[in-house]
Amino acid sequence: MAKALDDLRVLDLSTSYAGAWCTRLLGDFGADVVMLEPRAGHQLRRLAPFAPDGRSIPALYVQANKRAVAMDVEDGRARPLLEALLREADVVVESYAPARLAQLGLDHAALERLRPGVILCSITPHGQSGELAGVPGNDLTAFARGGWASINGSADREPLNGSAFQASYGAGLAGYAGIVSALVWRDGHPGEGQHVDVAEVEVAASTFAPALLRSLYHAEPHPRRVSADIAAGPVPVADGHFALTISRAHFWRDAMTLLGLHDLAEDQRWEAGWYRQQHREEYVTRVQERMAGWKKMELFDELAVRRVVAGPVLTMEELVANPHLAARGFWAKAADDPDGPTYPGAPFKLPASPWGLERRAPHPGEHTLEVLGALPGVDEPRLRALLDAGVIGLAVAAPQEARA
Amino acid sequence: MSGPLEGVRGIVLTQAWAGSYCTQLLGMMGADVVQLEVRKRLDSWRGSYDGPMPAALRSVPTAQHAWNCNPAYNSVNLNKRTATLDLATPEGVDVFKRLLVHADVVAENFSPRVLGNLGIGYEVMRSVKPDVILVSLSAYGHTGPWANVPGIGGTIEPTSGMSALLGYRDGAPMNSGQMYPDAVAGLNGFAAVLTALHHRHRTGDGQYIDLSMQEANLMFVGDAALEHVLTGAQRPRLGNRHLTFAPHGIYRCAGEERWIAIAAESEAQWVALCTVAGHGEWRADARFADNAARKANEDALDAAIGAWTAGEGRDALARRLGAAGVFAAPVLDGLEVAHDPHLRARGFIAEVDHPEAGRWPQSGVPVRFSRTPVAVTRPAPLQGQHNLEVFGELLGMSGAEYEALARRGVSGVGPPD
Repeated sequence: MAKALDDLRVLDLSTSYAGAWCTRLLGDFGADVVMLEPRAGHQLRRLAPFAPDGRSIPALYVQANKRAVAMDVEDGRARPLLEALLREADVVVESYAPARLAQLGLDHAALERLRPGVILCSITPHGQSGELAGVPGNDLTAFARGGWASINGSADREPLNGSAFQASYGAGLAGYAGIVSALVWRDGHPGEGQHVDVAEVEVAASTFAPALLRSLYHAEPHPRRVSADIAAGPVPVADGHFALTISRAHFWRDAMTLLGLHDLAEDQRWEAGWYRQQHREEYVTRVQERMAGWKKMELFDELAVRRVVAGPVLTMEELVANPHLAARGFWAKAADDPDGPTYPGAPFKLPASPWGLERRAPHPGEHTLEVLGALPGVDEPRLRALLDAGVIGLAVAAPQEARA
Repeated sequence: MSGPLEGVRGIVLTQAWAGSYCTQLLGMMGADVVQLEVRKRLDSWRGSYDGPMPAALRSVPTAQHAWNCNPAYNSVNLNKRTATLDLATPEGVDVFKRLLVHADVVAENFSPRVLGNLGIGYEVMRSVKPDVILVSLSAYGHTGPWANVPGIGGTIEPTSGMSALLGYRDGAPMNSGQMYPDAVAGLNGFAAVLTALHHRHRTGDGQYIDLSMQEANLMFVGDAALEHVLTGAQRPRLGNRHLTFAPHGIYRCAGEERWIAIAAESEAQWVALCTVAGHGEWRADARFADNAARKANEDALDAAIGAWTAGEGRDALARRLGAAGVFAAPVLDGLEVAHDPHLRARGFIAEVDHPEAGRWPQSGVPVRFSRTPVAVTRPAPLQGQHNLEVFGELLGMSGAEYEALARRGVSGVGPPD
């Protein structure tokens, strides 16, 4: 079945995890994504942890569904090849500091001259404008300045970052959505490309919006949690941890009844979230004592029958073996690597234009000859000469590429 | 309206955060988004009809109804209009179908059984509007053994593998400080609708999008899933540390509740950090000789950095480190983000005038476009604020017809009789 973006050629010049996630999604929905990387290998290939064969696992995840060309973008000798690639690109994704982008002659106006109607997406820590535009950043700084860390973790300890790459996944996804928004505009206005500007800190702050406005309306910063009770998140049960996050009145009644706490179930004051919040000391200990006698999946199943929201803390082992995800066909192998690892599958199911994992992550420069050789006016002797001159690179054996 | 989705209309049944954020983003891209609400069953992010008024609004004379002044609702429903419509009545369903003719997109985040029970499942919608795009954001998707298991952000975080990864290195699994999986699902739903809009342009066909919050969130920790597949290991909780690089932490600064995030990935950044810190001796310390050494001695490294930052002013230090090329940022709280000069200069944080709550800074559109500018153009709507406007404009409904609907509680405003 046709994929939504199978008419699209994407050139990925980005070096960041966010940029890589953006182009991974473009590839997942059908775009032909060519990733440029230095001859020494993309810098994401240095990220731990590593697979038994030495390859970076985060890189394997975010570089699937792409072809890799090893070529140093900033080497003037590679410029004709770069421009030939840009002439064929419907979408370009990059993560340079804004001033550097202009210096390299890769700003939107320059790209338009090579490819009218091109969509350029820049994903940077702080965006294309403003006093921090040139200041570097990463996931940690995005979650700090974007507010997230201030409410994450315990009040009596340091603020807590999200788990690995959260700001990057969000910014990469926002970049994907921004690109497809620009495509939708171009669908109705042929030839009208544009520059899409994604700031990682703003995507992080966008997902902080409720806590931000709550802080303002209440005239005090939304705090980190003051205690590790069911009002805040998972608590211990017999074989792990379990979140009983009550959001509707009947969840409360039915959960308390199941736990045998009939006085709490029957007193209607407890049905209001704001009341529970103000009187948490009066119930959390009692509820948690009862929960502690349950195994997590048994409690989940009993609450599910009663249509009460509940969350056993699941490990990756449990999720890979999870019957529900299996029944939905969530896990996937790359079509070109049936003996390879199982990947998490589609983030959403689009039946008429489906997600697909067609390609395993490429080795460094694996497609250098294939991609460059297909460019107009490029022949084998020329590629050999560029190879000998150290302008472009070929694939190296897998175990050598990691731990640079 | 302006923006890349100008001319696109959503008639949406979204509520709480995941669905509301998805459709807010569509509105921010310039789509005309109309949320249909039910008076009998408030959007849970409006709270309850007898909920308390937030402290800072108690002195605002226009702030009259708690359900119009809930920061949760008002933060994720910008750039929308709203109409009330009870879809559990035949008249409500009839009005919905008449509205549907004008819709490109329908979005909802009910439990999976609800649309069918209301008699407005995808097949019914398609019979009314053949190329409609319907996106359903549910806890576990619309198929599979858990399809009818309810869930919200606070329970999807544990069941998507996220909670097991989040927390202090010596601590238990945690949920984040708010219902983060909703935001992840909302962003994914937004991306899904756009993909389907482009597909519709190419083929003329709409489609039904099944988004499982569990799956969308599992994708956001997919690197840890792949790690388990390839190594058999469950990644431990990392606190503020990085899998690869050190230093990478949040450190206390001078003053009450003042924290700074600092990280270095390259040797150049490490050298710059030592220089800004005035601790040139760190560079000569064998424990910190390269990234591998720093990673192996991270407790000592964090202690040294923390001892230094404890005497420093947070904001000045973040500026100095940033200027030197080191990753650094103040940990801003909810009040401070609203006043961050960079985010304000870019227009990301801007004042929004709400008819009841008044004028407050809010976070805006997380993506910019050079050709099709996007902006916050509407505050979150009051419940039923655009009833007559929407029904009149799209359906040609008369005032008398609307009044009749309102009298019977099918539309109208405020607590049901």
